[in-house]
Amino acid sequence: MENSFNIVGKPVIRQDGLEKVTGKAKFADDINEPGQLYGVMVRVPVVHAIIEKIDYSEILESSPNVVIVDSNDIKGSKKVGPIRQDQPIFAFDKIVTPGDVVAMLVGESEEELRELAKKVKVKYTELPALTDPLKALDSDSPKIHPQYENNLIVHYPLRKGDIEKGFKESDFIHGETYTTRLVEHAYIEPESVLAIPLEGEKGIRIIGSVQNPFTARKVVASALNLPLTKVRIVQADLGGSFGGKDDTMNILCARAAVAALKIGKPIKIHYTREESILESYKRHPYILKYKVGCKKNGKIVAMKIDILADGGAYSSMSPFVTWRSVVQATGPYEVENVWTDVRAVYTNNPYTGAMRGFGSPQPIFAQESIMDEIAIKLGFTPEEIRKINGFKAGSLTASGQKLENHDVNLLKVLETAVKETDFTSKWKQYGNKIIEAGYQPDKISEINEEQLILKKKDFIPPNEVMRKGIGLSVSYRGCSLGAEGIDAAAAYLSVQNDGSAYLLSGLAENGQGMKTTYTIITAEVLGISPLNVYYLETDTGLIPDSGPTVASRSTLMGGGAVKAASDIIRNRLEDFLRKEWKLKPQSEFIFRDGFVSNKANPQQKISFPDLCSLAYRNGICLAAIGWFKSPEVNWDEDTGQGSAYFTYVYGCQVAEVTVNMATGQVYIDKITAVHDPGKVINLLGAEGQVYGGVTQGAGYGLWEQITADNGNIRELNFDQYLIPTAKDLKEIKPIFVEGKDIYGAWGGKSLGEPTLELTSAAIANAIRNATGKRFYNLPINLEEVLLRRKLFPKDLKRGSA
Amino acid sequence: MIINFKVNGKNTSVELTKNKRLIDLLRDNLKLTGTKEGCSIGECGACTVIINGKAVNSCLMLAQQIDGCEILTVEGLAEGDKLNSLQQNFLKYGAIQCGFCTPGMLMSAYALFLENPTPSREEIETAIEGNLCRCTGYKPIIQAIVSTSKP
Amino acid sequence: MMIPQFKYYKPKSLTELKHYLREFQNNSCILAGGTDIVPGFIQESSRFTLIKHLIDINFIDELKTISLADGFISIGSAVTFSEITKNELINKYFPLLAKAAQTVGSLQIRNRATVVGNFVNNAPCADSVPPLLVYDALIKIVSPENENIIPLSEFLLDPYETQLKKNECVTEIRIPILTKDYIGDFYKLGRRSAVSISRISLAFLLHKEEKIIKEFRLASGAITPIGKRFFEIERLFIGREINSETFKEISMKVGEEVLKTTGLRWSTVYKLPVVQQMLYQMLEINAGGIPR
Repeated sequence: MENSFNIVGKPVIRQDGLEKVTGKAKFADDINEPGQLYGVMVRVPVVHAIIEKIDYSEILESSPNVVIVDSNDIKGSKKVGPIRQDQPIFAFDKIVTPGDVVAMLVGESEEELRELAKKVKVKYTELPALTDPLKALDSDSPKIHPQYENNLIVHYPLRKGDIEKGFKESDFIHGETYTTRLVEHAYIEPESVLAIPLEGEKGIRIIGSVQNPFTARKVVASALNLPLTKVRIVQADLGGSFGGKDDTMNILCARAAVAALKIGKPIKIHYTREESILESYKRHPYILKYKVGCKKNGKIVAMKIDILADGGAYSSMSPFVTWRSVVQATGPYEVENVWTDVRAVYTNNPYTGAMRGFGSPQPIFAQESIMDEIAIKLGFTPEEIRKINGFKAGSLTASGQKLENHDVNLLKVLETAVKETDFTSKWKQYGNKIIEAGYQPDKISEINEEQLILKKKDFIPPNEVMRKGIGLSVSYRGCSLGAEGIDAAAAYLSVQNDGSAYLLSGLAENGQGMKTTYTIITAEVLGISPLNVYYLETDTGLIPDSGPTVASRSTLMGGGAVKAASDIIRNRLEDFLRKEWKLKPQSEFIFRDGFVSNKANPQQKISFPDLCSLAYRNGICLAAIGWFKSPEVNWDEDTGQGSAYFTYVYGCQVAEVTVNMATGQVYIDKITAVHDPGKVINLLGAEGQVYGGVTQGAGYGLWEQITADNGNIRELNFDQYLIPTAKDLKEIKPIFVEGKDIYGAWGGKSLGEPTLELTSAAIANAIRNATGKRFYNLPINLEEVLLRRKLFPKDLKRGSA
Repeated sequence: MIINFKVNGKNTSVELTKNKRLIDLLRDNLKLTGTKEGCSIGECGACTVIINGKAVNSCLMLAQQIDGCEILTVEGLAEGDKLNSLQQNFLKYGAIQCGFCTPGMLMSAYALFLENPTPSREEIETAIEGNLCRCTGYKPIIQAIVSTSKP
Repeated sequence: MMIPQFKYYKPKSLTELKHYLREFQNNSCILAGGTDIVPGFIQESSRFTLIKHLIDINFIDELKTISLADGFISIGSAVTFSEITKNELINKYFPLLAKAAQTVGSLQIRNRATVVGNFVNNAPCADSVPPLLVYDALIKIVSPENENIIPLSEFLLDPYETQLKKNECVTEIRIPILTKDYIGDFYKLGRRSAVSISRISLAFLLHKEEKIIKEFRLASGAITPIGKRFFEIERLFIGREINSETFKEISMKVGEEVLKTTGLRWSTVYKLPVVQQMLYQMLEINAGGIPR
């Protein structure tokens, strides 16, 4: 079967496409319940303060029908969080970020409630705000969460070899500091949830834009002090998440649930875009210090890496995000001596958590930038330096893990990309320009106004304004959760006696096409059409907890479980047929095109529907739960050594850009994305992940930043927070190199995050090639290209750019 | 105030008891939830509908303004069960992922075809420049629209 | 979503419009495209949330036309940016306006937003302003008792402020048709390739005989508090020869003038050098004859 897939790898129309293309798909805000009330949040416009008193009297007087819900209504855990429970569902002791919610007003008219929310009077004592992560560990800095010893959330060390010896042996040492910023997931659907109290103490049913239904269930159950079985979370069609509808969404579910059970009515919450950006978590800004020692022949012998992640007001996923960074920070290179420290700290900045990439885009930007710098300094091409140092089969990673049991295709994806784009000749050609010393806008000081008026020699001739550049980046990525935690997934397959089948996974569709991938797997195993596999509603009551839909694990783990379930049914049917047709115990069958035939005697066949009917009549159970558990992984907290992930994927992206030297604009002409995701199961889905991931990665590299003015976010809507439009990337070309792997469904692994994590690094290297200048601070926007700095307005009005 | 208009080919009358936006009229009064709200300030295009043949952001219009107009929403594209060719191509080319921007994209594309049955790729990109998508990277959507263009 | 409970009116004629302007003297607001007003409600801008009477001018036929009159083109105040980009007369006689119109917002916005609404709102980055200024546009303001025609350059006062009084409505733009041959162009800098607020916009017209500048008009947007014509600089360069030196000097003078007007603002260190570079590019490419 491996060599001649019938459905796997071919274009298949999405399972949920029809309802989405007709406007019939029901997203969370489209779902309403008769008699529902609305919940509107009350926030306090302060960054860091002790809450003294919350005064609702004006509301209680003017609007007695409005119900107030706050921390006092929470019977169970008032604070939640994936690792540290430091985030209150309703803030009651402190405000640590303006996104904090102190109460929720519940009533019939959402508009009225939004007006009333302004009338809640919160008496607080303002505290100094900590907004510089570099100061977080100073003894005199404000402590964000006094219950902890200091503002350190986590520290991961990684020690391999002898770093001092490595630097002593180096012929050449290069050190740089890189920085990245807060970015926003910008899913087009804002958060929305509906909580419906169930009759007779049966608990609560919640339908929402929930990325991880089981995590939401855990949070809600802990807040309400209910057993897990009394909290049913149903995922509505999700309008994008990218890792962003987890913590915030779980808390929204809890708020809705608390209110619903208090009042006894359905409660609907939906966020405006401004609320979504204000309150939801962001990607961690990183400060990355890299020091690399290498030999004249290009071999890297030492890497010292120091990373500081701004965890913001709550710890959220910081320990997991930074853990991936410590594992992968060296990049896919064999380095004998490594000394890495990754720390995450609390600040009063917007809190940070999971976002597609999860601690990888930042180090990749830094590591791929420095690799190119080393290449240029030593006289190698970007391809050569990576060939000298890149992983091969059997290589040891920085954490001492041997890469085996899969095709280590790093160099293959690199070579493919280089060949496809004619990389080397372009890189040499574009980089060969003589960069005029004349116009150096980054030397302009704003203090001296005269310097802002150009001299005649500063004017750039029109035919020299646009400069082309090409750059590449490579990565390896550990698949699924790794040594972070429990990693297993379930799938439920129930074949009906007419040959159609119900399928459900414990993982949740984020829009990426997961449901379709799963139906393809079942269809391939059972030889039926994917159209005959009906994907059920994602409901925590119907399927075992399979962990969160994160870490690009849906195809690998969820797919593995779907295949396991499908194989169970197939095996039962085969066993049945062997008895029925009186065949030898080892007889094989072909399941294809709706028929099942005896491999040794293809004339002997039966249609799949007939087989199911027959099997059912003979008492064969046609339903199964498939379970796929990750192999053992391990991690030593003190040394950072161990088999961090059970398998890996590889990618290489090439960016071709044009830089406008007068304005600092960077135009993306083409991104060629070569990925080894293992076996491609859902072709349209896989291509979609490349187009989408590359576009997000480009946004990360060139335009996107959430900036906080002393803790207050400036970019609260899409007029200020700029994500790529249809015109911003001219061309994207996906290429798949399918490496073999013993895990997953036919070795189908991961693609969602690898596609995003590489792009900004490739673009940065292309800009370096075009301009002769290295840029260290993402996003490389207009001001960064011309001035090497970011500029911010003091007072932002619409229409001011 | 009573407003009279045609929506998806059907003559409709609504009594407005208070000021609201067109998007609220569509989603709340008429229960046409296909049109989505992503930003409320006309930046994301998820709320795009077609009014008298032109694509507009329904979050930027007052309900009163459609008196006497003809509106098409995503629910009006298919003829009963039969999808129109634009919808079919969206499915065929993988132009849909989470689906939230899809109604707005379909409306912008359809409005383009109403004016120009054979748009160039650049005209297509311009037609959807005001429709933000975070999932698909736009290329499959452009491909679907290009394929729908009649030679 | 919070929409204030204003009263809504739909005059079908100019007479009816004047009637409402008279009746609601100080408490009315004109609704043309709505693409500034409606988000203004959502973002709780006090300029909009206090509106008590909203007068929708989209149902008055005279305001929806673009027509050729005696030596000028008339554009009604309900004409949208889309209509401008597609109109034959505008493309023929005022290509810079058509080009600027094409860059405003998105197609959905252009299908509703009006040119007049754009400059009546008078955001610093209003894209319609620089072309209209170089075309010496006039506007017609109508009040219950009066009609007045004034140059646009006089009408615009400060960011978000014009000469328009509460009981007045702009009904028309009148642009005199150019009688000579002009080279010209419009340029806009945004942060991304589409749907961008202008960071810099420029429009120029130049009439030359042989290689001498006989007439020169130059306007900018988004770099000074409101869109601006550079009358003094224009005069300074009449009679100068068309060459790179001249273009650089023009650009430097503009830089000085802008700096004098704005002083050092948060964006000056970026915008000032860039506007000089881009003005030079624009002049060189359009008028310089240097091959690209």
